[in-house]
Amino acid sequence: MDSALIPEGARRCPFPVFAAGIAVASAVLLWGVYAMGLVWIKGLNQTNMNDYYGFALWIWADLAVIAIGGGAFFTGLLRYVFGIDELKHIINLAVVIGVICYSSALLILAIDIGQPLRGWFIFWHANVHSMLTEVAFCLSLYFSVLIIEFIPLVLENRQLDKVPFFHNLGHNMHGIMAVFAATGAFLSCFHQGSLGGVAGVLYGRPFAFREGLLIWPWTFFLFTWSAAAYGPCFTLTVCKIFEGVTRKKLVKDNVVDLLAKISGWMIATYIIAKIIDTIYWAGVTVSDMGFSFMHFYSDNAFYGVWILFTEIVICGIVPAILLTVKRFREDKKLLILAIVLGTIGVCINRWVMVLQVVAVPVMSFDTWALYIPSWQEVATTILPIAYGIIVLSLAYRYLPMFPQEQELYDAK
Amino acid sequence: MKIDRRSFLGLGLGAAAGVAASPMTWKLTDDISIWTQNWPWTPVPRDGEVTFDNTVCTLCPGNCGISVRKIAGRAVKIEGRGGYPVNDGGVCLHGISALQYLYDPSRIKSPMVKKRDAWKTVSWDEGLALAAEKIKSLRDLGRANTIACVAGSGEGTIAGLYRRLLMAAGSQNFYTMDSMDKTWKMLIAEMHGFDGTAGFDIESSDYLLSFGTGFIEGWGSPVGNFMANSSRKDRNAKLVQVEYRLSSTAAAADQWIPAKPGSEADLALSICSVMITENLYDKDYAEKSGKNFDDFAKLVTEKYAPELITRTTGIDVPKIKSLAAGFARAKAPLAIAGRGRGDAAGSMMEFAAVHALNCLAGNINKKGGFWMTKDADTMIWPSLVMDDAAAKGYAKAAAGPGGSPDRLFDALTSAGEDETPVEMLMVYNANPCHTLHDAGTVRSAIEKIPFVVSFSPYMDDTARLADLVLPTHMFLEMGEDIHGCASSVKKVTALSKPVAGPLFDTRHPGDAVIMLAKAVDGSVRASFPWESYEVAISEVMGDTWDILAKDGYIKCASQPPAFRPGVDFKLLVGYDGPPAPLGDKKKFPLILVEMDHMRLTSGAVASSPFAVKTVPDTILKDNDILVEMNPETARQTGVSPGRMAVVETPVGSARVKVNIFDGIMPGVIAMPGGLGHFGGDNRYIGGKGVNVNELIGPVIDPVSGLDAAWGIRARISRA
Amino acid sequence: MTKDNHGKAYKFGMVIDLDKCTGCGSCMVACMSENNVPFKENETDKKDSLTWMTVYKLTNGKPFPDTDICYMPRPCMHCGGKGDHGHSPCVSVCPATATDYGYDTGIVSQIYTRCFGCRYCMVSCPYHARYFNWWDPKWPPGMEEYLSPDVSPRMRGVVEKCTFCYHRYQEARDRAYYEKRDTIAEDEYQTACTQACPAGAITFGDLNNPDHEVYKLVKPDPHNCGRPRDPKAFRVLERLQTNPKVYYISEREWVRKAGDNYRKGEWDKKNMLTKADGQH
Ligand SMILES: Nc1nc2c(c(=O)[nH]1)N[C@H]1C(S)=C(S)[C@@H](COP(=O)(O)OP(=O)(O)OC[C@H]3O[C@@H](n4cnc5c(=O)[nH]c(N)nc54)[C@H](O)[C@@H]3O)O[C@H]1N2
Ligand SMILES: Nc1nc2c(c(=O)[nH]1)N[C@H]1C(S)=C(S)[C@@H](COP(=O)(O)OP(=O)(O)OC[C@H]3O[C@@H](n4cnc5c(=O)[nH]c(N)nc54)[C@H](O)[C@@H]3O)O[C@H]1N2
Ligand code: SF4
Ligand code: SF4
Ligand code: SF4
Ligand code: SF4
Ligand code: SF4
Repeated sequence: MDSALIPEGARRCPFPVFAAGIAVASAVLLWGVYAMGLVWIKGLNQTNMNDYYGFALWIWADLAVIAIGGGAFFTGLLRYVFGIDELKHIINLAVVIGVICYSSALLILAIDIGQPLRGWFIFWHANVHSMLTEVAFCLSLYFSVLIIEFIPLVLENRQLDKVPFFHNLGHNMHGIMAVFAATGAFLSCFHQGSLGGVAGVLYGRPFAFREGLLIWPWTFFLFTWSAAAYGPCFTLTVCKIFEGVTRKKLVKDNVVDLLAKISGWMIATYIIAKIIDTIYWAGVTVSDMGFSFMHFYSDNAFYGVWILFTEIVICGIVPAILLTVKRFREDKKLLILAIVLGTIGVCINRWVMVLQVVAVPVMSFDTWALYIPSWQEVATTILPIAYGIIVLSLAYRYLPMFPQEQELYDAK
Repeated sequence: MKIDRRSFLGLGLGAAAGVAASPMTWKLTDDISIWTQNWPWTPVPRDGEVTFDNTVCTLCPGNCGISVRKIAGRAVKIEGRGGYPVNDGGVCLHGISALQYLYDPSRIKSPMVKKRDAWKTVSWDEGLALAAEKIKSLRDLGRANTIACVAGSGEGTIAGLYRRLLMAAGSQNFYTMDSMDKTWKMLIAEMHGFDGTAGFDIESSDYLLSFGTGFIEGWGSPVGNFMANSSRKDRNAKLVQVEYRLSSTAAAADQWIPAKPGSEADLALSICSVMITENLYDKDYAEKSGKNFDDFAKLVTEKYAPELITRTTGIDVPKIKSLAAGFARAKAPLAIAGRGRGDAAGSMMEFAAVHALNCLAGNINKKGGFWMTKDADTMIWPSLVMDDAAAKGYAKAAAGPGGSPDRLFDALTSAGEDETPVEMLMVYNANPCHTLHDAGTVRSAIEKIPFVVSFSPYMDDTARLADLVLPTHMFLEMGEDIHGCASSVKKVTALSKPVAGPLFDTRHPGDAVIMLAKAVDGSVRASFPWESYEVAISEVMGDTWDILAKDGYIKCASQPPAFRPGVDFKLLVGYDGPPAPLGDKKKFPLILVEMDHMRLTSGAVASSPFAVKTVPDTILKDNDILVEMNPETARQTGVSPGRMAVVETPVGSARVKVNIFDGIMPGVIAMPGGLGHFGGDNRYIGGKGVNVNELIGPVIDPVSGLDAAWGIRARISRA
Repeated sequence: MTKDNHGKAYKFGMVIDLDKCTGCGSCMVACMSENNVPFKENETDKKDSLTWMTVYKLTNGKPFPDTDICYMPRPCMHCGGKGDHGHSPCVSVCPATATDYGYDTGIVSQIYTRCFGCRYCMVSCPYHARYFNWWDPKWPPGMEEYLSPDVSPRMRGVVEKCTFCYHRYQEARDRAYYEKRDTIAEDEYQTACTQACPAGAITFGDLNNPDHEVYKLVKPDPHNCGRPRDPKAFRVLERLQTNPKVYYISEREWVRKAGDNYRKGEWDKKNMLTKADGQH
């Protein structure tokens, strides 16, 4: 039925099956859109946020999708700037994930602000001291870059490619992609960092505050590093999910192995930095502010040392070991465990850097504040997932997302 | 031109780019944001000329001077009136919120009659005719004595007019709400043989020994007391608070003495015993010029020596002795009784025991002491015209002896099926269905009365039971004479004046009663010769009126009265403790007390939206009231913080939430007063919490005949 | 005016005597009434209740009968930020410059029509002084009549907070300008809460002016970001270097200690140091 659009030679499921799948995802998407509409029309009272929880589920979702979308810039950097050619076989996937993650992030921001119609004030009345201003600028610019990186892939669609203009455009864009990828990598390094800066500059919030270098708190560097380290884990996770769902091998083991190994070493170095940061923070920074380490992990029903342990040990040290040691990495199950743990790890990090920050009492007579999101918040947070599934499915079905697909099929 | 797919796409893209780059996009974006800055549903307050109008706040007996800021004639803000003798610029949250009472859309906007449980709007003429008809027919039937009236207080010309209407019609059934002032008045008569009111020179005393008095919970004249409290540091004056709970007053005090509830009088007598045994008292005043001193001394030294009462009070001997020493050695010591806000009459014996301290210290009618002042009786009422019906009715005794509304409703409750001691009730400036103890029974008693007229501006707990409402102005819309500054020695007589409205079809309460009297006709009409309230007040107040009309207020010199009446300890010689709270100790092991909270009103007027907003969530959470208890009490009763529980007392039960507070004595639980209002359409206070008065039953004081209850025995269990 | 007189800028601040404060709440209501703060039917969720001035109730944590409580009114602290350079926690983070530091007054402003509701400033403020308009402000019919034109009612979706009654400053400044005066007098500009407090617990004025009561009460140290030199005075969370312009006074040691965080034993050491300091 839609065979004319499907890449030549590619084997795809029958259209009705595909359509049914898309319909299910769309239903979830519509639920999210409904919640989004409620929020836009009735305002943020639709959420369970409050004056203690000015930032909550959405900002976490925002930071998390940007972190796991970090596979795009980092793979781009490796492929185009460091010239690691094998990665061209997975870069398309990384870029599509990046586009999904970043567009989701922008959408969530548009829902999250109290006056969406004035959102552009962030550019017009920009405050250069604000990390959020830096985020807004870098985020939008990088999103444009991602679109530019995405367009050539779209133009490779069988029908579009027939149009000579698009064909030539795609071809030429490929030629200059290295420039964009480099720009993108630079921008991305910056906004990942700025997002870390958002928390790190909060000198009124001891849990978030970090000293640093020049105007940048350590979290600036840690966020960039962790996005680069864990982003590929998510790219690989999505890749594995694709392979599982389609029951096809789509990317060659050496490519996966290479990316996993790089990711592993990045995680290893990151987690060392993170541990040093945590020790310095606990021993010097908050101590100077009059707090003990346990202040941040006791006297409440949720945040205990377990969350730090999970983030650093289970979702940091463990995947670092699994991915750096060849023997483990080559074990399919351990590889999957490692990349899933890695993805969770970076999400936990973003969670604590948003939610635990505001949950912790700062004034000596204040109390812990815990919060449970409303269904509208949950629905709008699930929305990007449904949207991502739809975009990925469409991209997979109609675009040559996995260059090695045919080769691997033929080899079978 | 041939439009193929390519050029179509090109054109489309070009057009999109063009629109995006055109000024229109930017203009629209800008316009949309400007729209969000001017949403038509966000009000834009009108501007205009700024003026100020002075008047007096009557939301509580403090009677602070207030200044109303107006813009283009519309009242926008209330502030304290600088230089006013009561409050000098300070003002409490209720006074500031008065504009919310003024503009309250749930006010009663015109007279209403209840027909088969539904309200019907009527004109003033119709409403007045209805009430007048009832009075006439009762007089014709020779039952004029069954007309009753409950008013908030008896002072001032408006209350005078209501009292006069009753007398002119032929009834003694005029009641004012009980308060500690009544008890003090009786006590002064009893112990000093003097007819006057009590005053406490708090701001000059250097040692205040307070027996549960809530200076900071709103006792007496709140703002004046706050000011006096603040000046203590500079004056080097001490405040010692005897209370079973760390109230805001106890927290502000230099010393907190957590004596067991009900043992306050014993503690006072014990301090007396130390003062006497250690020769720390004013012999000239107490002994030489006092009567029955020796018997009193014998009683306290034999029965109330510190060693004997540490168990009952929980206060150890050295502390009692040091209290006695501190009190006696102070230059101007002052002991005060009247628990919490002083809304309740209290126990006469307890007041007497506390006042004995003042007498022993001899600090009577002296600077920084206890003052007795003669009521300045400046009103001149023309003589009443009483016809036969009036004379006959007036000869009959009041339904409730002693002028206490509790006794009136008691009489109604205990009346037989075919008896109707009260055929008609008028309620002005009072909300007995909320403020009297055992409010539920009061409600049933009022429901028994065939015809109830309410003169309330608000659909309060009592007005809702009325058959007719004749809505009066709220205080900012009217003028009246104010004789005030409760319990303070700074007596200020003031004239308030209308500063707004009237916004609705309401009448001045004085005009309303004059109109009613005129509608009754005959001798009743003849007793009300004035055209309006304004004429009445100017004639009745005589010379005072001229000064008030000119200056707004008269401040009596704050010099202690020149005379010094002697003291008779006879009342105390027969002392056998204040009445115990209701309830069986075994069945109800705990004691429930009402706690006053400055941010909630407890009188006739329910709290404003602003005030309710400031109330912490340890008092009200959603619609649930919280009961305060020591962690120990919670442990013993098995209830948990933040969870629901059921409080039961001999007169009622209620679902409450549990709040844990270390500062309350184990075994005592406290519930805030001022909640559980009906509120009518006012959803900002209506239906929130429980009225603690539904749980506490009245205890009639054997000496004063007034309600002496301050708490009740209770139990609590998990809901 | 004074802005041009280099170094002669005002630095408005507040001193609250916690031993006088009775927790009565007049300041809260005076503020709501002065500044057109709306209210809802249910205000018992204190984390979603607009109260520019909030009165905290502190306890010393001891069991009966050694318990003690203290009320602590908290407006916006108008933080000078690290080094007192005007980079308040909230001002420095606002991406749209919707909240700003007035170098001529020391007042942290809030511009509702500029704010787009990202709430970053709320997250940055450790004092919970900032409030978000989760709901459209609504007054019961007829009650809009008491709204003051001096302060614009805010729309849904923006942050608001105590402004030190900035409009009163503007009025005083305009009057001074009109009367050709260079400065405004202490009593010309007083905030609504200060004026209302029946206990006289709040004092407001210019911390740069040694003649003003606020200065005399706390003796701010100009070389130390305004740190109080009076031993009974303190600022909340002094150690975070937010440099608030709201100071507190208390004779009670536990209250002063509750103003900040101290690790075990640290307070006693600090106190010994201040005692030693007092020697010379
Ligand atoms: N509903 C409604 N909305 C309106 C309008 C309307 O009429 N109705 N009018 C619109 C118009 S025309 C305008 S101009 C805007 C005005 O909108 P805004 O600019 O928001 O004006 P205000 O709300 O009056 O004051 C905002 C804040 O600015 C701060 N501020 C004032 N002066 C100074 C200063 O000198 N220094 C510093 N640091 N801070 C200062 C104060 O803290 C004050 O709280 O509102 C627009 N929005
Ligand atoms: N107290 C206080 N005063 C303020 C401010 C404040 O915040 N507080 N804000 C100041 C600011 S920023 C501003 S912009 C000014 C605004 O103050 P003004 O300029 O007075 O603005 P408005 O009162 O909104 O509108 C002025 C008049 O224009 C009329 N009008 C509307 N449309 C038209 C039209 O098409 N033609 C004509 N001829 N008339 C029309 C309106 O009915 C209204 O009577 O107020 C300033 N004054
Ligand atoms: S203390 Fe009483 S009289 Fe004074 S402002 Fe408050 S309510 Fe009015
Ligand atoms: S008005 Fe004064 S006494 Fe009352 S709570 Fe505020 S600061 Fe304290
Ligand atoms: S108290 Fe909070 S809102 Fe006020 S200036 Fe400081 S950080 Fe900003
Ligand atoms: S919520 Fe408003 S004031 Fe606060 S940071 Fe965002 S834009 Fe600025
Ligand atoms: S200074 Fe003004 S705005 Fe700030 S809390 Fe006081 S009254 Fe409110």
